[in-house]
Amino acid sequence: MLSPLYILILGLAAGFLLSPIDKAGRKLSLTVFYFVLTFNTVVMAVRFIDFAFLGAAPLLIQTAGFQAPLSINLQLGLVESFVLLFSNLAALLAGILLFKKFKENSIATMILYLILVMSSNGLVMTRDLFNIFVFIEILSISTYALTFFNNKDKSLISGFKYLLAGGVSSMFLLLGVVFVYYYSGSLNIDFIKAENFSHYQTIALFLLAIGVFIELKPFPANGWALDVYESVNSGIGSVIAVVNSAAIFFAFYKIVPLLPHNMQNVFGIAGIVTFLFSNLLGLKQENAKRLLGYSSIGQMGLLVAALIFTQNSPTRLVYLIVGGFFLNHLIAKAGLFWISSIVKESNINRWFVMNKHKLLPLLFGIFIFALAGLPPFPGFWAKWEFVKILVQGKMYLTLSAVLLGSLFELVFLFRWFIKTLKTENTQPLPKIEFSKLIAPGLFGILAIVISNIIMRYFYSFNILYALPVLAVLFFFLIDFLPSKLKAIISMLSLAVYSYYLYPFESKIQLFFGIIFLAGSAVNLISTFNRKGKSKGFYGFLMMMIFSFGNLIIAQNYLEFFLSWEFMTIASFLLILRGRKAEKASLMYMMFSAAGAYLMMAGFALAPDISGQLPLILGMANVHLPLISIILLAIGFMIKSGSLGVHIWLPEAHAEAEADVSSFISAILLKAGVFGLLMIGISYIKSTPSFDVFYWIGWIGVFTALVGAFLASFQEDMKKLLAYSSMSQVGYIVASIAMVTHLGWVSALYLTFNHMLFKSALFVAIAGIYIRTNTRMMYKMGGLIKRMPLSFITVLISIIAVSGVPPVSGFGAKWLIYTSFIAKGWYLQAAVLFFASAVSFLYLYRLIHTIFLGQLKYEHQEVKEAPIWFIIPQYIFLAGIMAISAFPSLIIKPLNAIAVQYFDSSIIMEGYSIYSQLGHWNGGLVMLVTMGVFITPLVILLLLNGKTQKVKQFNIVYAAERPESPQTTHIAHNMYAHYRKALGAWGVPRIWNFWHGASEWAHSLANNIRQIYTGNGQTYLLHIILYIVVIYIGSGV
Amino acid sequence: MDIIIKIFYAVISITVATVWGLTLGGIVRKTYARVHKRIGPPLIQPFLDIIQTHSRRETITHGVMFYLGPVFRLAGGLGTYLFIPVIFGSVVFGNFSMAGDLLLVMYFIFFGQLGMALGAGEGGHPYSPLGIARGLSQMSAFELPFSLAVISIAIQYNSLNITDIVAAQQGSILNWTLFTNPLAVMAAMISLLGMNMHSPFSLVLAPQEIPIGPPIEMSGSFLGILQTNRAIFASAKLVLFMNLFFGGAAHPNVLIALIILMIKTLGIYMFSVLIGASFPRFRPEQSFRFFLKWPTLIGIISVLFIAYF
Repeated sequence: MLSPLYILILGLAAGFLLSPIDKAGRKLSLTVFYFVLTFNTVVMAVRFIDFAFLGAAPLLIQTAGFQAPLSINLQLGLVESFVLLFSNLAALLAGILLFKKFKENSIATMILYLILVMSSNGLVMTRDLFNIFVFIEILSISTYALTFFNNKDKSLISGFKYLLAGGVSSMFLLLGVVFVYYYSGSLNIDFIKAENFSHYQTIALFLLAIGVFIELKPFPANGWALDVYESVNSGIGSVIAVVNSAAIFFAFYKIVPLLPHNMQNVFGIAGIVTFLFSNLLGLKQENAKRLLGYSSIGQMGLLVAALIFTQNSPTRLVYLIVGGFFLNHLIAKAGLFWISSIVKESNINRWFVMNKHKLLPLLFGIFIFALAGLPPFPGFWAKWEFVKILVQGKMYLTLSAVLLGSLFELVFLFRWFIKTLKTENTQPLPKIEFSKLIAPGLFGILAIVISNIIMRYFYSFNILYALPVLAVLFFFLIDFLPSKLKAIISMLSLAVYSYYLYPFESKIQLFFGIIFLAGSAVNLISTFNRKGKSKGFYGFLMMMIFSFGNLIIAQNYLEFFLSWEFMTIASFLLILRGRKAEKASLMYMMFSAAGAYLMMAGFALAPDISGQLPLILGMANVHLPLISIILLAIGFMIKSGSLGVHIWLPEAHAEAEADVSSFISAILLKAGVFGLLMIGISYIKSTPSFDVFYWIGWIGVFTALVGAFLASFQEDMKKLLAYSSMSQVGYIVASIAMVTHLGWVSALYLTFNHMLFKSALFVAIAGIYIRTNTRMMYKMGGLIKRMPLSFITVLISIIAVSGVPPVSGFGAKWLIYTSFIAKGWYLQAAVLFFASAVSFLYLYRLIHTIFLGQLKYEHQEVKEAPIWFIIPQYIFLAGIMAISAFPSLIIKPLNAIAVQYFDSSIIMEGYSIYSQLGHWNGGLVMLVTMGVFITPLVILLLLNGKTQKVKQFNIVYAAERPESPQTTHIAHNMYAHYRKALGAWGVPRIWNFWHGASEWAHSLANNIRQIYTGNGQTYLLHIILYIVVIYIGSGV
Repeated sequence: MDIIIKIFYAVISITVATVWGLTLGGIVRKTYARVHKRIGPPLIQPFLDIIQTHSRRETITHGVMFYLGPVFRLAGGLGTYLFIPVIFGSVVFGNFSMAGDLLLVMYFIFFGQLGMALGAGEGGHPYSPLGIARGLSQMSAFELPFSLAVISIAIQYNSLNITDIVAAQQGSILNWTLFTNPLAVMAAMISLLGMNMHSPFSLVLAPQEIPIGPPIEMSGSFLGILQTNRAIFASAKLVLFMNLFFGGAAHPNVLIALIILMIKTLGIYMFSVLIGASFPRFRPEQSFRFFLKWPTLIGIISVLFIAYF
């Protein structure tokens, strides 16, 4: 096979010869140019396949006829070929992207580009220190020159600053090389015995390392880099971010083994600091390229840290972590720079001009999600394993920095994404030539392919876990079909999936299976109402539903977490479809991501699960450390909207599309419940010293109360129901926290009940919204005459929520209060009573302001809700009535689940249930209620003589005439007096807290980034000071 | 056959409760009148009222929900009454207490409220929901001390079954909850003021503030049913309080037990009536704050006291 030496030779030769060749015609020189780039890529590809799959040994190439260390030698092994393959591929694609520019500019640009690529190849392969220096110089010089690619003043200035900074760092590098040579007698890395260096002599190593490290643009000595990123041509920017960085990173990788241990750690910490602060500063950035610059710098910092802190881990893991981060960064960053060159807008708020294009938003989305470290992209797996290693090494501060930095990154990335997708676009882009789309398009495909490879070969997952992604891809392909057809396909696929999953190993899985899958199926019926094609909707919906199912069968932490993240992504994208959903979806993503990171840490801290049991069963044998319980619990409680982290909930529910809210409220929140149960199962056998669940109980109880209050003060019907969900799930959380038999029976009962009545309510509300086109309740009224079916649904559902017998809600309340009093949680029970009483307020408000009172003029002709909404409502209603009349239908199975974990505390005889405190006979209550209802009705009918039906507006009005229906309906701010009574308790403190925290972070970012003054000399000062600080820190 | 007898007994029980409730109503009106230095209506006035309202020839209705409102209300009252065992140890007056315990009774009280709220809302009057909003808010406020009292006695007697609670209070007057758990009783009695909607908590139907609404829109048999319900519901609440806090009505001879019941319920009722006659009305926010302060505090102390001492 061709020796890689030819890459260098060919590159140099082409570089020299391009100038004369160009005289023969630009076409010829372009051909040569692209040939060289392609040649590089192909050689590396072949070599990589050799090393990776055919087990070839690393290649050592001697030069000049001598053996090392007398001559320079090159090494090409698995790692080198991996880096170079993708680096050359990126360079090739960037070259294609810049085709027009190369065609029009002078030949010098192509020459410089070729030299850059050649030197990056050389830098990676060489084993000689001085050679490293030379290649870095060549790389730098060609890069400086290429910064003038677009001939703008700004580029010239930033290029000059780059030159200055590069000059300083090379100076230190050269000094280091000289002294290392002096002390060790060799320039070849493989022959330097760094352990023999005395204390003073390690300064030389330090100089060597810092010389390379500065080129990696650490914080805060990186102002020059940011200016460069901001002003260069995007294609060149991509090359700097990916090709240059890859090569220099690899050079650093080669030097690291020489350094003493504590020096390595200092560099690792420096990397983490870079990651954290770059992402923090990115929060305030509005220039797209500069933002990508911050992100690149941050990612390189993370890479360095990953490199250093995973040194003692098994090779396979190191490949996944470092390789994963590397590839993730490469693909996503290059892709985003390339899109930036297509979009040509410098401000991120103007990127919406692309959102009408067919392909660009998709590619943009892929790259953003990859960069954010979300599955299925490589960054996700790398982060998961990295977190585990950090935890094993007890590096908690580092871990927090990584997670916090990731969170910041997520904030600005998703803000950008959402703004781009959701802003109204009146000036779409002109047609984009195909050559420009090749590069990002190929990388988009590559991202997905590599993700699949990791999932299948590294983790050998069952195909089921990839199903969410496959669903999105499949529906993307059939997106042109009409909506109803896609709905039918969705139902069928859900049916097949459920059937496949059906032999569950345990009853509790079956229970949650019914809630997640059967509940979703019935809710799916309401989506049949959609007209047109609903592009993108069904893909994400099925992704979410399949992730729900996968949660139930997950057998280890990673499978669970993977499905959890898929669920979050899918629900985020669904919420994003709402008309005014920008703020809501961002908040949702933020809170979910924060919860997910806490969960990641929590799972990493937990002992490993082995075995083939589904997680929900396997957790029984796991002893979770206290910190793990707390982290996981917080993560799950964020998903359930518990007090303190609930502010995303009302926004997300309200702004999501009409038929989506029902999924989120009735089903998504239950995922958090499922998680808490998992922790609970572990808690039973191994209770930690500090009773976490006691405090979770209090949080749950107050969530119930605050949710009920907040619901009462809402004007928007969806927000009212959202807060109601928050309140009800608070009951569930508190019940689980009791960890007793009756507590869990009540929690499961309420979970099931909630799914039924909340789905029914949301579907009914969706139907009303579709007909009246408003969500504000005070704009409605009197709709009972026009929408009687919806009224009945809402009536029975609110009776179910409130807990009034004989409907099923009472069973929940009976179980809950009995369990609380039996457990001894008396004050909590009192708070729940209060919450229950307050819930009447919002329930009444819901039904009164919409259905009762006066019918407004504009609604005189309103029709009943569409049939596709009526059907699911009544299916749920049937469920509610069934378990109301026959409570043992549901309580017996739930009891069977709970007795697996606790001794039974209730006795069931026929229709009666006896607890240690009291009793309840559901059937008899139903009969008596029907009796006492029918009897007066009959009496009334008999005694009443003639009744005359009058119009709604025909009312006695105390000697006046009512003006109009519009003003004769009390609905707005209905509980003003209550709000006044609450006084200082009504201030939205939690909302203010979170917004304050966000503001604080942004201010901090703004203040810190003032160090980037734009003055090149200041940047040099930064560099020098930084070197001093690192020097002192490394304890040399 | 069993069920027929049971229903027959229930009818007797309800009749007694209705008659007594209406009589109580009459006594109260007479008392108010005398306090205000008037003569007042005759004692049997409530009975006459009901006969009068049912005799009307024509009534108006606004629709199905409006029609059903009073029915719900009466169903609530009847149901609440029927789930409470009235006289300890009596089969006739045992009602359907085997259907559920104290929790059932507490929640069934809401059934009537809800129904009436729906019926009133359907009336189309703007002020009905105002009254209902105030009523529900007040209810949520007084539920808190009441539930604390209930929890307190649940801990004390280790049961939520009303019959068991009554049984535990037999023996001597000192076994009454009034003496064994006075704080709980205090909290509950203050809640009772809210429940009965007399001054100072009469803002819900305050005639001077809400001149229109259910009392006006509902006429004829609707009104009659509402008035009947007032009597039954009042009886139910009084019997409940009697059972929980004042030793219940227990005597081997049913008639003497009934007399004991009448005396005790009269006493409990006069408590709220006399306070009502003496105090002016609270504003909405004042009444809510009131319930959430001292009565709640008393309730919390009673729970803690019982739980830990």
